[in-house]
Amino acid sequence: MTDTALVWIILFAVSALLFFGTAVVITVIGIRDLRDLLQRSETKK
Amino acid sequence: MSDLLSVLEILSMNFQILDWIILLLYLGASLFIGIRARRYVENMEGYFVAGRRVKVALGSATLIATEIGVVTFMYFGELGYVTGLSCFVLGLIGFLGYFVIGKTGFIVSGLRRLRVITIPEFYELRYGRNVRLLGGILLFLGGVLNMGVFLKMDGIFLTETMGFSPDILYIVMTVMLLIVISYTVFGGMFSVVITDFMQFVILTFGMFIATIFVLMRVNIGEIATTVGKQFGEAGVNPIVNPRFGWMFLIWMLIGSVAISALNQPAVSKSFASESPVVARKVFLYTGITLAGRYMIPMFWGVAALAVFGPTLNPTTAMPKLLGEVVPSGLLGLMIAGMLAASMSTYSAYLLAWSSVATRDIIAPLSRRELSERTTILLSRIISTLIGIFILIFGLYYQLPATAFQYIAITGAMYAAGAFGCVAFGLYWKRANIVGAYCSLAFGAVAPIAFLILDQFKSSLPDSISFLVDVNISGFLSFLLAASGMILGSLVSQRTHPPIALEAKNRDGATR
Repeated sequence: MTDTALVWIILFAVSALLFFGTAVVITVIGIRDLRDLLQRSETKK
Repeated sequence: MSDLLSVLEILSMNFQILDWIILLLYLGASLFIGIRARRYVENMEGYFVAGRRVKVALGSATLIATEIGVVTFMYFGELGYVTGLSCFVLGLIGFLGYFVIGKTGFIVSGLRRLRVITIPEFYELRYGRNVRLLGGILLFLGGVLNMGVFLKMDGIFLTETMGFSPDILYIVMTVMLLIVISYTVFGGMFSVVITDFMQFVILTFGMFIATIFVLMRVNIGEIATTVGKQFGEAGVNPIVNPRFGWMFLIWMLIGSVAISALNQPAVSKSFASESPVVARKVFLYTGITLAGRYMIPMFWGVAALAVFGPTLNPTTAMPKLLGEVVPSGLLGLMIAGMLAASMSTYSAYLLAWSSVATRDIIAPLSRRELSERTTILLSRIISTLIGIFILIFGLYYQLPATAFQYIAITGAMYAAGAFGCVAFGLYWKRANIVGAYCSLAFGAVAPIAFLILDQFKSSLPDSISFLVDVNISGFLSFLLAASGMILGSLVSQRTHPPIALEAKNRDGATR
């Protein structure tokens, strides 16, 4: 494996981890946001 | 009876009963939840931008879901198969574009502060009603053409992963599209946000499953060796790769900022956010995930090259790999994830383009002001018509170049002019109506020339053959749009004094 290929593979691994990690955080906080959006919209009506 | 047997035979190729149950449950839940969201729509702002009450995490989830579709998996997978690891550079460029917007609020915070619902609304504030009309037409045409290819790519993906025949495939795609149209038409942005969130969770899980099984099938060393053998230096260096090069990378860098900040389906998510700061943060958090969500399907494509070799159709290689490596049961979950990705994209696009058609084309042409009720009704009708159009267009249009480049060039058709009008309109006081017309017209010339000339490229004289190079055409569109704005504005300052924007700030300047 060339050095350039290794750099791309490492970048891929970091990016993929960042994607899945952020997705978990967004999912957890997003549930709260979604509940809040629906409650505020219901109240407003 | 024989028909039924042949259908069952087709269905059993890759997709088993358990996969079908998972898929049908998912589609049914989407329809039910999406239509139920109708009760939250209290007025026009509720229908188009969910009452502007979306917070950061939910906004990020819905924006990511909009931007990931089967079509993105397909064109990134295709790129990975034909360019090796060098295409990963697009992930870095895209990340950079979003990071700039997320840190500075470039364009998105300014537009959110003005409380617009569509981008052409800004044209009216800054340049007048006729520019809004022209901008709306270009945005609508470019956007719908851009969307036209999505269904075709979805179809190829499902054919390869599920093992469907075209007949069954069209039924599945039509049902999926009808579900999306139904909930988008009824619940507007509320349905889009709620279903997007659900789809975000499922599609992320689907991507995770696919990546794990691809990694179990082929190791990293094997991939690097294949790339070296197949492409040599071009497989790891985008500068020397004949499909990329400097001009492409510069175009992508400008385009990633422009298209990210001015892609109506995406930016309408920032318009739905509860403040300009939240709009900016949505782009920041979305940007953090961007390199990963570009590189993951590219990696599947490179893995397909390592597994099958270079002789397959580049478009079908990646889905063929997923269809082979993901086992039954999980395949249903993965396909549900992929369909989730597509549905969230379709719903956002349908709502965005129907809102542009209604508010920026029909309303300015109408002699009397449209009521909120009429605007929503028209938007619902147009959403349905766009859905029918993409179903027909997706079946008959033949793609030029690669799917990624087709999407980039049709995106450039509206984004280049919009970038000139909005970026200069927000940050350059001398931008005026003449500059806006020049920017919109010049920005659309090169991509339109490309789409037309590409049909006759074998008979073109050498002097204009450069116009059918998708990279040159895309780059030119942004250059021409910016030049048009600057030159047009400078030569007409006296005859057409610019309209000051500060007076029309509708949401306070401090937030």
